[in-house]
Amino acid sequence: MNIKTLILLIINSLIVLVIALLSFLFYKQFSNVLNDRILMQLNSIETLESIQIENLIKTKWKSFASSKVYSENIDSTTFKLPDSIKEIDGIHDFTPYHKHKKATIGFVLNTRAGRKIRFIDYSDIQNILLERTGMGESGETYLVGEDFRMRSESRFFPDKKPYEIFVKTQGVISALKGVNGRGILVDYRGIPVYSVYSLIQISNLKLVILSEIDVSEVTKPLEELKIRLAKLTFVIFLVAVTLSLFLTRIIINPIKNMRNSLRVMAKGNYDQTIEYKRSSNEIKEMFDALSNLKASLQGAVKFSEAIGNMDLNTNYKPNSAHDVLGKSLLTMRNKLIDFKNQEDNTRTMAKRLLVDGLENERRRLARELHDGVGPYLTSLKHYIENNVENESKKTEMKKIVDETISEVRSMSNALMPASIDDFGIGVTLTNYIENLNRSISISIEYEDLTKQENSNITDHQAINLFRISQELLNNSLKHSKAKNIRITLSEFDEFISLFYFDDGIGFDISTVRLGSGITNIKERVDICNGKITINSLPGNTTFEIELPVDYE
Amino acid sequence: MNEIKLIIADDHDLFRNGIAELLKKHGEIKIVESVADGFEFLKVIKEGVEADIVLLDLTMPKMDGFEVLKELKNFEAKIKPIVISMHSAGNYIAKCAKMGAYGYLLKNTDESELILAIRTVHRGKKYFSAEISEKMINFMSTQSVSDDVLSKKETEVLGLISKGFTTKEIAAKLFVSTRTIETHRNNILKKLEVKNTAELIKKATEINLI
Repeated sequence: MNIKTLILLIINSLIVLVIALLSFLFYKQFSNVLNDRILMQLNSIETLESIQIENLIKTKWKSFASSKVYSENIDSTTFKLPDSIKEIDGIHDFTPYHKHKKATIGFVLNTRAGRKIRFIDYSDIQNILLERTGMGESGETYLVGEDFRMRSESRFFPDKKPYEIFVKTQGVISALKGVNGRGILVDYRGIPVYSVYSLIQISNLKLVILSEIDVSEVTKPLEELKIRLAKLTFVIFLVAVTLSLFLTRIIINPIKNMRNSLRVMAKGNYDQTIEYKRSSNEIKEMFDALSNLKASLQGAVKFSEAIGNMDLNTNYKPNSAHDVLGKSLLTMRNKLIDFKNQEDNTRTMAKRLLVDGLENERRRLARELHDGVGPYLTSLKHYIENNVENESKKTEMKKIVDETISEVRSMSNALMPASIDDFGIGVTLTNYIENLNRSISISIEYEDLTKQENSNITDHQAINLFRISQELLNNSLKHSKAKNIRITLSEFDEFISLFYFDDGIGFDISTVRLGSGITNIKERVDICNGKITINSLPGNTTFEIELPVDYE
Repeated sequence: MNEIKLIIADDHDLFRNGIAELLKKHGEIKIVESVADGFEFLKVIKEGVEADIVLLDLTMPKMDGFEVLKELKNFEAKIKPIVISMHSAGNYIAKCAKMGAYGYLLKNTDESELILAIRTVHRGKKYFSAEISEKMINFMSTQSVSDDVLSKKETEVLGLISKGFTTKEIAAKLFVSTRTIETHRNNILKKLEVKNTAELIKKATEINLI
């Protein structure tokens, strides 16, 4: 179930529950109050009418009692009064004795002067009962006799004789027992009514007076109220649904946005732009946090890209002490650096071995020429000296041998001057350049500032410095058109510096052909763990080469 | 004419034979021993073989010519060494001269010069041909051996510092790297036991270095 449905369901069921409960309670309260009010009103009407009737009867009785007229003016056609009743003084209900059972109340008084019997004008009573102000459409007050028969006109059955209407209802029964009361009861029609009932007992007269009003009439507004409440509930529900939909949109849309962003990021794309509508602080913060996450991931990605390209000088600052990704990347970089250093070392070592092998071979060859071939040629010269008789031939042959010896000597020197082993690099370069100066027109000045005794320059460094110088001179002589070359070799306690200058045309360091000696020079500097700085301008080209002193 | 007793020390048989053949023509020169390395030569000398001159090769197995020269100097032996070598470089010549060689010949030296050298040395004089001498002097002239407190280069640098040149300018003038000048400068400060340039100039003036 998604959040939207969940929120809608929870909020709306809560609202519906509250409204329903409120409506129910309101309705209940209202209906209770209404019941009370109705019953109170009925009670006051009933009480009023009951008192009026009692007063009426009592007043009539008084005038009757004080009357001096003694008569029994009874219409015998309509009444058949038993004598037994005539002998009982008081007020009587004569209805059962009426021929047509018309409701009748009469007085009987036996005095010494005679018997008095009179009937009350029943319409007076009926008029009182017909007073229905405040009783609505269905309210009525009526009287019931001891025989459970009605004694007043029914509102609902105006054409029926009251006596014919049998009213043996709960209220009448209770009232006859002397218990007055009120409540919702079923009336003589079998319809629920609000009913207030009480007994009127004057002399021998015993009547139950009931004021009633139909429940249906009273509750009519209640029903309306119910419908209104239902409508209101519905409207509130609709509003609630709309509002909660709106609310869920506010909450859900950023969440959806974020979900989409996270999905894109989960696929490995960190370059998307995260958009959001400013809806609340929390959501803004959430998106800020997402942006931060994105930024830090981008940083990590960039860093790993750089590492991937072996750009190992790139640095990366972990976002926090718990930045596991950043830390592992750093560890990886360090491992790679170690690995690369190791590889570089191995490569340098391999190069060094290769160059050393080459140099050893050259040395061997140079020695062979110098110390092997040389002496044989000398011997040849001696042989010529001793055995050739012809003087001119002898001189010619000796000359050829001398030239050959000289050639072998310079070949040997070019391959590897013996002096480098016997006297070191400083002196070797002095000799080499002196020889060179003799054969070329440009001026080469060399300054040897190496230590004459206890030099710390190793054989390996010496050979490489010699080769570098050879290469540099070679380049200058071949390409630079230089007139002056200056070389200084200085040895210090910490480092050895070879400085080379020429005033030639110079070259572009970035475009100079790799085939030229510069690559070789760089490689040789490299295998000696040295540094080289090249500056070249027309008329001023310098090479600064610095090797560390190796105390091995 | 006195007889000249000669020892040849060279690891090449052919060469020794060649020389011997060459010298046969000159009756007064007598080869008393012919050895293949320095070790053998010293053994012969220690055994008491008398000789005036040794023709000494530099490049030999076991013990080379330089070591032999050193040993002879220690012994204060009477035998006079003439170095005969394939090496034509000035440094070899200078070194040999310094170590007590009476002469220096290249192996392809003509017979006449060889005889002249032997005779000259036998008379108690040293023999270095014009060509050899030039090579030796050329070499020695480049050597900046100095007994002063400061080396030649350092004195030069100090002079430029005192004239107010910057390190970079001095480096350009002397055709060295700036780091070289910096190192020279630091070495000068150290040697003169001063801490900064101002003190350096003061001290240098005091001891008349500039």
